[in-house]
Amino acid sequence: MPYSDSDEQTGSQASVAGSPTAPAAVKILIAGGFGVGKTTMVGSVSEIPPLHTEEQLTVAGLGVDDLGGIEGKATTTVALDFGRITVSSQLVLYLFGTPGQERFWFMWNDLVHGALGAVVLADTRRLESSFASIDFFESRGVPFVVGVNCFHGLRDRTVEEVRDALDLDPNVPVVMGDLRERGDSRDLLLALVNRLMAGRPPAAIGS
Amino acid sequence: MNHWADVSPDDDDAEESLVRPYTITHGRTASVRDDLTLITVIATVSPAERPGDRGLQPEHRLILRQCRTPVALAEVAAGLNLPVAVTKILVGDLITLDRVTARPPLAVDIGQEPDMTLLQAVKDALLRL
Repeated sequence: MPYSDSDEQTGSQASVAGSPTAPAAVKILIAGGFGVGKTTMVGSVSEIPPLHTEEQLTVAGLGVDDLGGIEGKATTTVALDFGRITVSSQLVLYLFGTPGQERFWFMWNDLVHGALGAVVLADTRRLESSFASIDFFESRGVPFVVGVNCFHGLRDRTVEEVRDALDLDPNVPVVMGDLRERGDSRDLLLALVNRLMAGRPPAAIGS
Repeated sequence: MNHWADVSPDDDDAEESLVRPYTITHGRTASVRDDLTLITVIATVSPAERPGDRGLQPEHRLILRQCRTPVALAEVAAGLNLPVAVTKILVGDLITLDRVTARPPLAVDIGQEPDMTLLQAVKDALLRL
């Protein structure tokens, strides 16, 4: 399937009805603790101002047994901020800022489905707020990178200190940057794509 | 926010709908379609206007207008200022009527071999930013 416009096959892409063929979409998740800069990052690289919507996610049926009190199938509503990057006439990338609250981690199954990978944002003043996201993506075998948001160029921890504090695998890239800067946010996404191109790790559990 | 009495019906700033979301769906709370996702791309089938459109609700018409340029369902929901669940029901109506097409997301499965063509296209797009 062509994803690049360089293939120059415009004529054949008109459908019978005369409307242009719709592009397919892929997504990358932006996760991390509350206030760590998820929406800031989405806004800095998106070609549209960040949009907001609400989605119902399924709570039950997760194969975990620490959801005491929740029986049967239930849904709950989470707020999502998202943006868009057009890759070509045939492919669009969506970036979804996922709920920051730790208690929502079990609903990410729905969000993770079909994602290329994830970016976990961290704040050096409270790294522990990123633990839930990291644990989740590791357990699901979802490739991810860690971005350390350095507002005003403040870099009070080194990459190695962050890696140690978060107990990250050596193959998980850690990137420092100011997420208000498009270039820095882009470099974080590039780190993820490069990791994906280097090969996916085997799923940690059956998926 | 203005008091409701100060907002004229055609005021663009009147974002807060006075209609409850599930009134729009005639009480339906779940889409009959379970294949619609946040990034399913919705496209209006041309011609955009047809006889019989008078039977459509205003929200349906808004979707048809917005999706003349194909966009993901999440964008449709944001544009309507309605929850994704409600938007899925309305989009499902239009699919049933053959007024829009829905393109499912590219299959990306954990543990699968990476699609290098796709990833290279994404990388090139990021480098153009």
